[in-house]
Amino acid sequence: MDRRRFLQFAGTGVATASLAGCMGGSKSKDANQQLDGPIKIGVLAPEPGNNPIGASMANSAKLAAKQLNDNGGVLGSDVNVVVKDTKEDPATGKRKYQELTVGEQVDLTTGVFTSEVQLNLMSSIAQQQTLHLNTGAASPETTRKVAENYDRFKYYFRTGPVNSHYLGQNMVDFAKANFESMGWNSVAILAEDYTWTEPISKALNGSLSEAGIDVPVNKRYAGGTENFSPIYDDVANAGVDAAYVVMAHTGTSAVVQWAKQQRPFGFGGIHVPMQLPSYYGSVNGACRYAVTQNSATPQSEITSKTVPYANAYQKANGKYPVYTGYITFDAVKMYAEAVKQAGSKESGKVIPKLENMSYTGTTAEAVEYYGRDHQYPHDVKYGKKYAWPVWLQWRETEGSGSQEVIWPDNLSTTKYQSPPWV
Amino acid sequence: MVDVLTTVVNAVTISALYALVAIGFTLIFGVGGVLNLAHGAILTIGAFTAYYATSALGLGIWTGAAAALVVAAVFSAVLYLGMIRWVQDEPILVMILTLVTSIAIEQFFVVTVGTQSKAVPSLLPGQLTLAGISVQTNQALTFVLSWVLIGGLIVAVNYTQTGKAILATSMTKKGAALVGIESDRMYLYTWLLAGALAGVAGVFLASYRTASYTMGRGPLILSFSIVVLGGIGSIRGSVVGAYLIGFLEVFTVSYVDSSLSGLASLVVLVVVLLVRPEGLFGRELTEA
Repeated sequence: MDRRRFLQFAGTGVATASLAGCMGGSKSKDANQQLDGPIKIGVLAPEPGNNPIGASMANSAKLAAKQLNDNGGVLGSDVNVVVKDTKEDPATGKRKYQELTVGEQVDLTTGVFTSEVQLNLMSSIAQQQTLHLNTGAASPETTRKVAENYDRFKYYFRTGPVNSHYLGQNMVDFAKANFESMGWNSVAILAEDYTWTEPISKALNGSLSEAGIDVPVNKRYAGGTENFSPIYDDVANAGVDAAYVVMAHTGTSAVVQWAKQQRPFGFGGIHVPMQLPSYYGSVNGACRYAVTQNSATPQSEITSKTVPYANAYQKANGKYPVYTGYITFDAVKMYAEAVKQAGSKESGKVIPKLENMSYTGTTAEAVEYYGRDHQYPHDVKYGKKYAWPVWLQWRETEGSGSQEVIWPDNLSTTKYQSPPWV
Repeated sequence: MVDVLTTVVNAVTISALYALVAIGFTLIFGVGGVLNLAHGAILTIGAFTAYYATSALGLGIWTGAAAALVVAAVFSAVLYLGMIRWVQDEPILVMILTLVTSIAIEQFFVVTVGTQSKAVPSLLPGQLTLAGISVQTNQALTFVLSWVLIGGLIVAVNYTQTGKAILATSMTKKGAALVGIESDRMYLYTWLLAGALAGVAGVFLASYRTASYTMGRGPLILSFSIVVLGGIGSIRGSVVGAYLIGFLEVFTVSYVDSSLSGLASLVVLVVVLLVRPEGLFGRELTEA
């Protein structure tokens, strides 16, 4: 048993250590040789059976694996995918992570939607020393850990989305470029009170005012909020042009109540449920005229890979993916490329390859990670050349909804249209 | 600061809905002495019945609402006949069983529908303008329908033979039995009624907020406060309690802090239990 394995043995207690000891036999072989058996990828997804965010993660990892296997695998080895349900619960997520790394002995873990779940996994990732490519959770606290202790947390990368600090920066960039033409001179910021929205609130605070946009209401509302009437009364009373929102868990209640109550202001921002291509039908069209940021849409040609991936996903699953699908697909393909370059599955050899890679994915021409000396090491780079989200408005065409891109200009299919009741 | 009149309209409509939920809850406790912790989940069943009827079967929302009423009432009756009837004299067992049922229903919807909320069409779309403020027609309908149902229930309980029998059973099971009233049948009627009211309330709540697997939790907790404040077993007390709690909640959320939703009613629950445990219109139990 090597020293690394011994330390792990000592740290995880007798029961876990026994399993780790069994693992040691196969993994401690010289990694420079051919790949030892198939590549096993563990996906941690919320409710992969019925939550579009989790389903997109699980199905995209499987699609990427199938495409790799159809092309002869990675260095001759097959890629296998194992999916576990985190149930958006930190304790469950940790248990499932242990099952994947200790029980299934996977070579890579990916997925994870909720920041609360991802943060709870960080110490386990450091302990297991198994590579993890996050494809859903946006809290920058995770990569801040890599900055604080690189050697301990270097196994952690975020392939996407951009971290919430940059999500907030992107909201400011969108506002500066578009608010004037949209007629949004004053907005009310409404952010649900979860970990992932905290850096966005910080990034927005003051930045919009500096850009000449009036922000009379800036509210972080309780995570469990179901009744938005009192909040909307406040917003309407302030006479703003729009609610600039940051929502994932509470988004559907918010947009449905906005539309049903025909509130006299526009609605847009980061709204995770609205990113789902089939969302229009599930809310009876309530998202019409609402705007959201997204990593990609099925029709947007961000790169030459975006539309073919979306179509392949649609063919395999009967529906289009949400953003976590694009990112997970890129993560698995990028990992495969790194393994090829390293000639090994061993994390220590794959990490430098990922750190130095510039990969054309479905969400960016250049998926690259920030370096060791950056504020957020191993976080996907944000910028026009790198991950640069698209903004879309839900519109109705021929009785059904469509996600029309309004920004950036090179991908836009339409201009923003104000709701008729505003 | 939000216009007071707007806040009053919000409070009145939400209170009308709370009254529907709380009356069912108090009926079951007042008549059968059973604390039904699955009452909120029955509301969720009503909401998702309407959702499925409109989205999957393509039926109109009014048909969906009728289906919700029937399905929720039948579920409630089956819950009584299949489970509660056998253990109704064991209050702890009843609480555990109804709590477990409630969790099982929530998990059923997590598995079948998912964790994302679902939109349910309004029973009456559009807006009305009343005294210079605009009100959703759906909200106005909730208020009217709530009073129609409450009125109908009060009339039924006080002036029909079955209603009087239910009232008699709630006062004394032994006395009612002596005059030939079958208490089991009366309990079944109350479960049916409570289920139907919860089903309708679920459709309304879903139609202006969305349906989600956790949507029954808030109304269940509020029902505790309402029923304790109004007096356990009193329909009149439940209506008054619903309006007091509804106003308290909406005004707290509007004028103090939106994150305090639900807290004010729990404070009321504790204070009433300590200061006036029989509530505003409660009575002492006539038999042990």
